[in-house]
Amino acid sequence: MRYLMMTKPTEAAPDEKLFAEMSAWIEELTASGVLLATGGLEPGGFRVTSAGDEITVTDGPFAEAKEAVAGFALVEVRSKEEAIEIARRFRKLVGDGESVIQQVFGP
Amino acid sequence: MTDVHGAVDAVWKLESARIVAALPRLVRDVGLAEELAQDALVAALEQWPLSGVPANPGAWLMTTARRRAVDRIRRDRLLERKHEQIARDVREDAAEDGRDDVLRLMFVSCHPVLPAEARVALTLRLLGGLTAGEIARAFLVDETTIARRIAAAKRTLAEERVPFELPARAELAERLSSVLGVVYLVFNEGYAATAGDDLIRPDLCLEALRLGRMLAELAPDHAEVHGLVALMELQASRAAARTGPSGEPVQLQEQNRGRWDQLLIRRGFTAMLRAREAGGPPGPYVLQAAIAVCHAQARTAEDTDWARIAALYEALVRLLPTPVVRLNRAVATGMAHGPQAGLDQADSLLTDPALRDYHLLPGVRGDLLARLGRDEEARLEFRRAASLTRNAAERAFLHRRADALTGPAAPAATLGSAARDFLGRDGLDAATIRSYGQTLRRLCRALGDDLPLTSLTADVVARVFATAWGDAAARTWNRHRSAVSSFGTWASLEGLAAHLERRAATGPPAPAIEGAELVELLGRPGIAPRERALWSLLHESAAGVSTALSLNVEDLDPSGCRARANGSWITWHEQTARLLPPLVAGRTRGPLFLSDRRPGPARTPSEADLCPDTGRRRLSYERAEYLFKQATKTVDPTGTGYTLRRLRAREARH
Repeated sequence: MRYLMMTKPTEAAPDEKLFAEMSAWIEELTASGVLLATGGLEPGGFRVTSAGDEITVTDGPFAEAKEAVAGFALVEVRSKEEAIEIARRFRKLVGDGESVIQQVFGP
Repeated sequence: MTDVHGAVDAVWKLESARIVAALPRLVRDVGLAEELAQDALVAALEQWPLSGVPANPGAWLMTTARRRAVDRIRRDRLLERKHEQIARDVREDAAEDGRDDVLRLMFVSCHPVLPAEARVALTLRLLGGLTAGEIARAFLVDETTIARRIAAAKRTLAEERVPFELPARAELAERLSSVLGVVYLVFNEGYAATAGDDLIRPDLCLEALRLGRMLAELAPDHAEVHGLVALMELQASRAAARTGPSGEPVQLQEQNRGRWDQLLIRRGFTAMLRAREAGGPPGPYVLQAAIAVCHAQARTAEDTDWARIAALYEALVRLLPTPVVRLNRAVATGMAHGPQAGLDQADSLLTDPALRDYHLLPGVRGDLLARLGRDEEARLEFRRAASLTRNAAERAFLHRRADALTGPAAPAATLGSAARDFLGRDGLDAATIRSYGQTLRRLCRALGDDLPLTSLTADVVARVFATAWGDAAARTWNRHRSAVSSFGTWASLEGLAAHLERRAATGPPAPAIEGAELVELLGRPGIAPRERALWSLLHESAAGVSTALSLNVEDLDPSGCRARANGSWITWHEQTARLLPPLVAGRTRGPLFLSDRRPGPARTPSEADLCPDTGRRRLSYERAEYLFKQATKTVDPTGTGYTLRRLRAREARH
């Protein structure tokens, strides 16, 4: 089963040590076949809303920055517990903050 | 506290390969390493619910397992003076990232000394962290079978002293192909479930994908590794589209390509590129992956480049001329060059004994026949395929394909109905029914219950006989022959057995080894006294191999020429009588044929299998067989070596 992990932004800027640890960890997770895709997201983005026939495009950034998603990882695991374990390790690496994990329908 | 057991299990599955792989350097025994790692798991299950999950659970398990290993060594007092050495090893080991260890573990658990199914079970156990119960459920066998298989595999590895090393360059290709074979076997069992109600068991596919992806990182220089990964990713990408709403199979050409998993397809393409970068001539996995790439690239079924696929199959058949590959080539040829060309290739497989119960052969023929407009034959083949598959969803699908073919209803007199009537007659005794039943069931399986009786000709019967009993002993052949002959007379099909020669009685199917051959074997330098005695005993006594191995010293008759086994006597001649005393060497009881080594500290064979004097265990059948095969490899025309059974003389000479 697949889970999408979405991480919310933190105020602390990542340092070089974190970068190094993170890339080692990503390499390990990829090697073990767990991590299918991952990436960081630019904070701004734009928003597309539809109402009736009308489509509105609004450029970011948006006010509720804390609720935005700063990065994502798509993992393939055997169980919810494994997803939790991986999320736990991730949070240990990056420090205080929050990730939201949802199962992806399908395989 | 959330479900700690769930957390422990998750950590274990993620970490167990690294943990188990790190230990053999300390304890030099993969089986023991796994047991120590299990001890650590048990400790976690005991402690974490009380103390909470540690900050770094993987490291906790690793440390605990290492500590147990060191304790074990100390307790065994094997290395009293080497404590410092151990401590140093432990520190050095901890510094390495353990990747090579995991690769070593993979090579060991897929070692050719193990039977294929043991390799699979052991690999899932050691590399996937699955319990025996989980493996058993995945393969739909009972748990004790798997547990026993794993235990036997560990024992064999210990007895054969398989080193915990990467294979030498000379044997690397062969060993790697064994590893790839195991991974692909796991994948296939998940992807094309051979038994049960579901067509796909995603857990096994995922397990195999993970093993494959792991291997690709550990051994990135081998094109075939990436080929296998590409093949699995691409096949898995179609998993969702392969079954319809009620679980029925959907054939490739009819699949909704929008449901193919683009993420996995892209991963497959990437793996394919890595295979190309690794270079070398394409091996079987790369070729199969290339075929899968062709399918993935076709936007619609009609866009499929069948000519290229057929060409790839031609190349694959040269490397891997298995019946199944040849059957797939027939499918591709049928698409690229028309159904008749495909049917010609498929028909050439009809006489292959390996395919006689393989449902896809009649399935493919049915498809080709239907495209040729030969509906009646096609329907028969679909029904036959349905009767051969063990998978419920596939069976229903094949029946539907048969039903969809219009045409005259099945004739009144079919092979199936006639066989039933023939066996249901009054006045047949049970033994005859059983014996005739075997023959007719085989005919029905090979030809289909719905075959019109009028189509049952001597030629057709002869073909079935050649496939089914071509290698059988004369007695078996003749028994089936007279059954067919009797059936033919009953059904007014004269001359049904006309093309079946009555066979003159000969020896058993695999002829016993000639005396002269054995003399040559026994006289060779380098054959151990134990092997000489065992081989000679088997030859002279015609006793069963298990019986011979079960002999104890106290069973021997003082005459030196016989021993009591299972309540009766087995006897032999001078040669064996001469060879046995050195084996006994003053012992008064315990197994006659002993293994070279004592069992590892972690295994406790039953007392009856241990020598009370030396502590060595009874020689195992596997080991004895292996040694004989090794010794006879050079004389066996097939190159695999003879089985011990072949030593039994044609007739017991007493």
